Amino acid sequence: MAKVLEGPGMTLLGKWGMQVPRFVVVTDAAQIAKLSQANPWLRERKLVVKAHEAIGSRMKLGLVKLDCDLAAATKATEQMFKSSHFNISQVILSEMISHQAESYVAVQSTREGATLLLSKLGGIEVEDHWDKVKRFPVPLGADPTAGALEKFATEAGFTGDLAVKIAEFLEKLYRCYDQEDGTYMEINPLVVRESDGVVTALDAVVMVDADARFRHPDWNFTFASEFGRPYTQNELAVLEIDSRVKGSVKFIEIPGGDTALLPAGGGASVYYADAVLAMGGTIANYAEYSGDPPDWAVEALTDKVCSLKGIKRIIVGGAIANFTNVKKTFAGIIAGFRKAMAEGKLNGVEIWVRRGGPFENEGLAAMRALEKEGFNIHVYNRSTPLTDIVNYALHGE
Amino acid sequence: MSIVANQETRVVIQGGVAGINAANRMAEFCHLSRLPFNVPAFVFPPNAGKTADIPYGSGLVSVPIYATVAEAVSDHPTINTSLVYIGAERAFDAAMEAMEASNITLVSMITEGVPEKDAKRLIQYAKRTGKVFNGPSSIGILSAGEARLGVVGGSYDNLIACKLHRAGSFGAITKSGGLLNEIMWICSQFADGITTAIGIGGDAYPGSDYTTYLEMFERDPQTHAVIIVGEMGGNLEEQAAAWYGAAKRRIKLIAVVSGFCQEQLPKGMKFGHAGAKEGTHGEGSARSKADALKAAGASVPATFGGLGPAIGETYQSLLASGKAKSIPGEEASLPKLPMRVEEAIKAGDVFVEPVLKSSICDDQGDEPLYHGYAASDLINKGYHIPHVIGLLWDKRLVSPVEAEIIKRIVMLSADHGPCVSGALVTIIAACAGIQMAQSVAAGLLMIGPRFGGAVTDAGKWFKYAVSNHMTPEDYLAYMKRNVGPVPGIGHRVKSLKNPDKRVSELVRFVKSAGLSTPHLDFALSVEKITTAKKDTLILNVDGTMAAILVDLKFPVESLNGFFILSRTIGLIGHWVDQNKQGSRLIRLFPYLANYTSAKRREAPLLETKK
Repeated sequence: MAKVLEGPGMTLLGKWGMQVPRFVVVTDAAQIAKLSQANPWLRERKLVVKAHEAIGSRMKLGLVKLDCDLAAATKATEQMFKSSHFNISQVILSEMISHQAESYVAVQSTREGATLLLSKLGGIEVEDHWDKVKRFPVPLGADPTAGALEKFATEAGFTGDLAVKIAEFLEKLYRCYDQEDGTYMEINPLVVRESDGVVTALDAVVMVDADARFRHPDWNFTFASEFGRPYTQNELAVLEIDSRVKGSVKFIEIPGGDTALLPAGGGASVYYADAVLAMGGTIANYAEYSGDPPDWAVEALTDKVCSLKGIKRIIVGGAIANFTNVKKTFAGIIAGFRKAMAEGKLNGVEIWVRRGGPFENEGLAAMRALEKEGFNIHVYNRSTPLTDIVNYALHGE
Repeated sequence: MSIVANQETRVVIQGGVAGINAANRMAEFCHLSRLPFNVPAFVFPPNAGKTADIPYGSGLVSVPIYATVAEAVSDHPTINTSLVYIGAERAFDAAMEAMEASNITLVSMITEGVPEKDAKRLIQYAKRTGKVFNGPSSIGILSAGEARLGVVGGSYDNLIACKLHRAGSFGAITKSGGLLNEIMWICSQFADGITTAIGIGGDAYPGSDYTTYLEMFERDPQTHAVIIVGEMGGNLEEQAAAWYGAAKRRIKLIAVVSGFCQEQLPKGMKFGHAGAKEGTHGEGSARSKADALKAAGASVPATFGGLGPAIGETYQSLLASGKAKSIPGEEASLPKLPMRVEEAIKAGDVFVEPVLKSSICDDQGDEPLYHGYAASDLINKGYHIPHVIGLLWDKRLVSPVEAEIIKRIVMLSADHGPCVSGALVTIIAACAGIQMAQSVAAGLLMIGPRFGGAVTDAGKWFKYAVSNHMTPEDYLAYMKRNVGPVPGIGHRVKSLKNPDKRVSELVRFVKSAGLSTPHLDFALSVEKITTAKKDTLILNVDGTMAAILVDLKFPVESLNGFFILSRTIGLIGHWVDQNKQGSRLIRLFPYLANYTSAKRREAPLLETKK
């Protein structure tokens, strides 16, 4: 799954024939004046101004401004870019659409195909009336018929001409989801434009399958983070490395924690995070390397982990690898540790190691040898259960 | 006993390097379990028609590579399983191809990063055709003592440590590859080991899930308990709990679930495998899964660390009820993995008679050592090419004056224009479109008794004369009697009146260097006698070089090398020159050939024997 920001998300919906508000994305408030020459609607319509970033609850944070004319929109844009707190790099300006009722529609991937979700009550009301949301399963490879969708719309409480229009919209949404390798697409609110009665998507959550990127050459966007804040520089740096190496390296910062994680394996790493929190500790990050990545990639990941602020210990955990070379990947970690030590990043930081797998004896011996170089390091082999080092690290051996 | 994979399993591996690597690991397992190798074919269109040689025991098994699964299955009808190691973009087509083969009942996909839609379509097809589709992103499947599909189980030592050569009593199903290996290790330490261990992969939609395999384990009499390692996200663990709680089950279920950290992390902060995503409305949390499994009667330790004791406890109850018997350790009698020669030498276990001996250059370290000196060290300390020649041709660091003499010899012999034999041949070759190495080699082939190749012979005979205290007259008489023309004496165009400036310059420098030069002195005294007889019988450049180099104590065997080395510089230059000019093919005009063969005549009729 990968989140697509509003601008490119709306473009995808538009590509498959769904009506969306007109919008522009700017990276500088000065661009608005020029854009308003080519896009008269910017001058003629009331506008909505939003920070075009993966930030949750933008309305509450003051990163959405409604009902602006061009001058007010330009001013709001300037203020958003000035905000040092959020570090906004893009702002989206879209036209206000006058409407009455707000509905909810979504399509969600399931093991058997997909489920269409539809509720006459949309906007903020949908959460309160979740039991009223109607579901329509679409088995894989069986496109829903217009008649069936009309019946579904009618069941959800739409009548007459509107039921037909909603059914048409559902058909387009399903096609978009299916053809664009969607995993989840939610339109809320879905409205009827007062000016001409066209069913219009006012806001959308668009998630597609990042693994399908190879067959979508027109996906000219990068994916946004899914945890309510944009990626940090260090996270982006690791994502970039991950995109071009064999195996994988992952890194997410969690400010405020004092236990850093540098474990191996997509499965074991989560057990390490669980163990730290279960023992009453706090984690400073999530990290993971697996699939026998090159040692330089592990070294770069180690560098990011050691650079986390306020950490007291680093957990270099891992299960017994099947094919990841412990000696080589540990060589990357050791190189990263040495660099961090020279830069003074490991003062007072304890390192706890547990690992098994190909060349485990050599890898663990190399880690143990770091003690002679002045590292505060504790090394365990496969005979110590997976997460016991977390107990030792937090509550003593 | 086991499920999914057993001794009858025969595998076609779809894939290139990764597939061959997996085959190597699988062959190690077959060797350990004393089973025949179970991969009769590969499918990898780019290498179709070739074979892959897989080490098995102390030999190699040649496994044919096919373009299509259909061809592989047709040639090897025992194949019933496919492992897919094809990249994500083509993995769907590869798996479909395998599933379309009627003999193949199990397709396990190792490929990571396969689009969800592709996995879902494969699941649908497998369901419709009654086949088992495992993965994507699966580490593999291992049935102890019977079959290993993929690299699951790691190194050979680990296979033995985890007692994977024979069946225990526990099944295992995980998404994570590392944790599957960890569970096999725990089962070997706290209990009697595993029957079958299956990696279903960590994607959002695993082709086969916990429930699929739990049902199979329930029917396998050897398996008495199954461990599942769950993760937040999706509802597969809930389905497993529902299956377990739906009826009285023969197998015991032990489960752990990861992702409790979600409860304390900022909303939306999700990580782990692709499938580890909570639903939009809270379903699929670690807690709901653990609660569901507990409610269904499974043993659910609070942490991963609690698994070992839980497995141990179950094993003790199996022993007490007689369902499991303790298995004596037999690791000592297991076949060893034949060591590679390098490892055996390193361990001091074998002696190998070397094929060759080299006494000048050692390349076993991070850079070559010339007679013990690292090239970079020599460069950094200001040594030059003559020192390298000294080290590699005579195993010594030459003195500064010797280095200067060698440098001058190389410089003055580097080229002698396009008309001499060597350069002419190189040029003709260059103009015929021949590549540099071959053209230059052709020129070098001309070096011999009449062109540039007399240095060694000249040195040899000067040395013979000086060591036998011969006078120049004795020497000339000896040569006339026993050898023939004196090597190093005489020139086609140079003479006393038209002296060779290269020779006079070299002699002047060597004489001024204050070295002891008995061979050069001898050669010059011979020249005095020969030029008295005939003007062109001068000491030529070969002879001069030879006498000087013998004075420098270079081995006689090396002497022609100085001319070959020097002239190579010129020959390369001629080749480059002709190519840059785009020269045309050289062909002699008939008037440059003197035709002396028989005049045209009629051939007689061919006589045929009766």
